Amino acid sequence: MEETVISIRNLHKSFGNNVVLKGFNLDLKRGENLAVLGKSGSGKSVLIKCIIGLLAPDGGTINVLGQSIPDLSQDELDRTRVRIGFLFQSNALYDSMTVKENLEFPMRRHWLSADEKKAEEKIAEALENVGLLHTLNMMPVELSGGMRKRIALARTLILKPDIILYDEPTTGLDPITAREISTLMNNIQKKYNTSSIIISHDMNCIKITADRIIILMNGRAYAEGTYDELVASADPEVKQFFD
Amino acid sequence: MQLPQHTRNFILEAGELSRFTGRFFRESVKPRYEVNEFINQCFIVGYKSLPLVGLTGFIMGLVLTMQLRPSLIDYGVESELPAMVGISIVREIGPVITALIFAGKIGSSIGAELGSMKVTEQIDAMEVSGTNPFKYLVVTRVMATTLMLPILVLLGDAISLYGAYLGVNIKATTSFHLYYTQVFDNLSFGDVIPAFVKSFFFGFAIGVVGCFKGYNSSKGTEGVGRSANSAVVVASLMVFILDLIAVQVTDLFGLN
Repeated sequence: MEETVISIRNLHKSFGNNVVLKGFNLDLKRGENLAVLGKSGSGKSVLIKCIIGLLAPDGGTINVLGQSIPDLSQDELDRTRVRIGFLFQSNALYDSMTVKENLEFPMRRHWLSADEKKAEEKIAEALENVGLLHTLNMMPVELSGGMRKRIALARTLILKPDIILYDEPTTGLDPITAREISTLMNNIQKKYNTSSIIISHDMNCIKITADRIIILMNGRAYAEGTYDELVASADPEVKQFFD
Repeated sequence: MQLPQHTRNFILEAGELSRFTGRFFRESVKPRYEVNEFINQCFIVGYKSLPLVGLTGFIMGLVLTMQLRPSLIDYGVESELPAMVGISIVREIGPVITALIFAGKIGSSIGAELGSMKVTEQIDAMEVSGTNPFKYLVVTRVMATTLMLPILVLLGDAISLYGAYLGVNIKATTSFHLYYTQVFDNLSFGDVIPAFVKSFFFGFAIGVVGCFKGYNSSKGTEGVGRSANSAVVVASLMVFILDLIAVQVTDLFGLN
């Protein structure tokens, strides 16, 4: 039986009177790419922020790699987070650091004993994965939107996570760059056998990357299936995403 | 009876600032200690502020001397000029002006930097990479401002006294030795120590307010600008409030 790396049951989250998630369920298997599709404001980003522990859920359970995220102490949560990569919609590269320092930052925090040569090898490998080895000493401000996204992805990969959470990975990119990023995400999944949750509106990205799709509507998983299954759906609520 | 909105906002913000300060003390004693980042921040907030603090201190000493001289001539006590300038600079003007310059330069820079990191999700990125952003960003900066401002005040005072020496010599001739003998003969530990101690509190307040405003920034780039601006305004106000408290405390101990 395939191993479940993320299991979410009956997740509830609200902000004041705005109920965002009301009884959301999800299972992610090892090596699977799962896309979560939904309208703006439907709670997709809230969902992955609950998974990584940036937001505390109001109710329900979130199990990641056998750990109950809401019940972990700060130290336990930090240790678990090392095994989860998070690609932010805004890339969230550290402005004051070079590309090399951006990649070094998470690595040095967790592998303090790693020698200089080993660290540089890992940085070079991560940058080669995204095809941007030549940007090593550049500042984020000198990079294009697509390059920044790739560097952010390289930084996500540097700790060799088991799971990657992608928050709108292709938003704001031109169609060609968006396709390149989607292909890169697929290659990474194949190379490292990572499991991913992909939050996106971009149907091309979802078509390329997703093994399975969940449509998040009214705070719940409204429909679930492969891309082809959902495209063929007669349900008008599902169809509107694919028209 | 309900309090007006702005009064409630003020009380809420004061409460949030107190909680933030409490968190600083809790986090600062817990390992892991961010020594490298602390040293880096000491360099940024201390060393890089020195030229500005030095220049303002020099001008302040020079101008103060030139403005005091006519009044002292009127009272026939021109010879007391070095003593008067020395006490004024060391006790009050040096620490307060240096703190205000520091609040303008460092308070705004911390507010803008952390604010921009907040709205571009860099603080969240730090957190998800397993780093405690409060410890890495806030504790190191507040400790650096607390430690560096007193040092800047001492250096600023020294440069200011040199500016005053040049001011004294514009319309009279006083030797370097005589000038400094007169200054230090009239200064006691009761003048120097309270001024030095209060500058630690000024530095702490500037660091905490700058970090608080930046760390709680919202509403995009507009919010970043607002954070930087209010960091300077609130930190400067805090300097005067702390100065008022300091003068009462030194009065209680008979040091005024």
